[in-house]
Amino acid sequence: MTTHDITSIGLLHRQLFKAMQLEHATAPPYISALYSIHPGDNADAAQILRAVAVEEMLHLTIAANVMNAVGGTVDFTVAGFVPSYPTVLPDGEHDFEVGLGPFGKDALETYLKIERPAMAPRGQARHVQIKGGARHFISHPHDQTLRYYSIGEFYAAIRDGIVYLESEAKAKGKTIFTGDRAKQATAEYYYSGGGRLWPVFDVDSACRAIDLVIEQGEGELKQIFGAEGEIAHYYRFDQLQKGRYYQIGDQPGQPTGREIHVNWEAVWPIAVNLKLNKIPEKSELHAAVADFNKAYREFLAFLTRAFNGEPKLLLEAVPRMFEFRNRMQQLIRNPLPGGDCNAAPTYEI
Amino acid sequence: MSVSRRLETFVAFSAEVTAFTPTEVWGTGLTQRYLDTVDGVVGTAMTDALLNAFDRITTQSAGERTAKLRQTVFGCEQLGPVARAVVKLWYIGTWYALPAAWQERFGPAAQDGTFVPTPDAYVEGLLWSAIGAHPPGAKAQGFGSWQFPPGIPKF
Repeated sequence: MTTHDITSIGLLHRQLFKAMQLEHATAPPYISALYSIHPGDNADAAQILRAVAVEEMLHLTIAANVMNAVGGTVDFTVAGFVPSYPTVLPDGEHDFEVGLGPFGKDALETYLKIERPAMAPRGQARHVQIKGGARHFISHPHDQTLRYYSIGEFYAAIRDGIVYLESEAKAKGKTIFTGDRAKQATAEYYYSGGGRLWPVFDVDSACRAIDLVIEQGEGELKQIFGAEGEIAHYYRFDQLQKGRYYQIGDQPGQPTGREIHVNWEAVWPIAVNLKLNKIPEKSELHAAVADFNKAYREFLAFLTRAFNGEPKLLLEAVPRMFEFRNRMQQLIRNPLPGGDCNAAPTYEI
Repeated sequence: MSVSRRLETFVAFSAEVTAFTPTEVWGTGLTQRYLDTVDGVVGTAMTDALLNAFDRITTQSAGERTAKLRQTVFGCEQLGPVARAVVKLWYIGTWYALPAAWQERFGPAAQDGTFVPTPDAYVEGLLWSAIGAHPPGAKAQGFGSWQFPPGIPKF
């Protein structure tokens, strides 16, 4: 194996598509859990879930910006972009699945696996042999038996690939940054969304963007707080499990800040990984869930336009996303007939 | 009437008298709390009388249903004021005290008075959907949303 996993622009585009797929795939599970929490209860848990979900949206935007910068295509409407839940995401030794369901102790365990911190800073130790032949989003670009240990390492390989491919291109008097600058989503179109956003047009701006994703997500090398003093997702969730906030100076696993009280019962019991065909056809609820999925499909097409030269549309995406919140909350409070569970969007796109 | 059947009937009644759908009524998350509110004010026996009167209207024709509702529920001196208080509760999120004449004849309803049963009642008032607005101070629409035309609700 070469030191660099990503040895061609085609592979870079493929890995960036996986990055967008991955970032998007984490949002519906987090958001479903967020809106399963009774309003007014569990303010700490809700705030943590919300902060993480919003940052995943920033990460999706960053991945799309990098894709556009290196001349790739951003298209959220291609078949398979939205996974069928439950779906496989990366994990260290074991395979685990990420699904749609209510907030709870099991869900929290899954979040901690999704956001697990990177283990290896460089080289081959990033990879883990795939067991059981499951398909992974963040599999190795050209060795299908390998995958990355964590999302952070997956991004670190993309960063290395960009540096490597650009230095190769420069040696030939070329560049990999051939994208149209007008397609970049920048701070004037995207704000209050989990962090700063800047145009990506060279190695430096691309690497800084990717480093932000790594830092906000999993925290590199077991750092609780990133360079800007922001706590990484893994440790945000760890706080809920430990029942206490981290503060500056704490060691991983030993938060010493304010106590957090989690009321595990104050949650709507939404059905886990609900599918539309489990809801009686021709019922009002069936129509409402189908309608949500349709609106979400249209929204992905709308976002695709935003990343293909119409960044202004991102401003309009904001009220549309809040409308999704209202619709989700409405579905989540509806009991499914004949059971103890409630409905939820199924994200069957 | 079983506990779950009772709640379902209350939702069906609420949907019919507010002209919202059962999905929208459940969607407020307040169904059980509002049923508890009605029980708390007029007692379970009178709530049951209201739900049974509604349940006995079996015709599917919309015109006939309206006429029957008027006759047996809204036109009833005992159940009518309670039904109207339920409509107001769903729309405005406030239980309005029953009329003094009702209290004299059918009371005393010790828990009666004008009150807000829960802080969510304001946020989930059907009034907001009916006028195509969001509850000011809650269910924010996002910064800058005001530069786009408002969404007109479907009726």
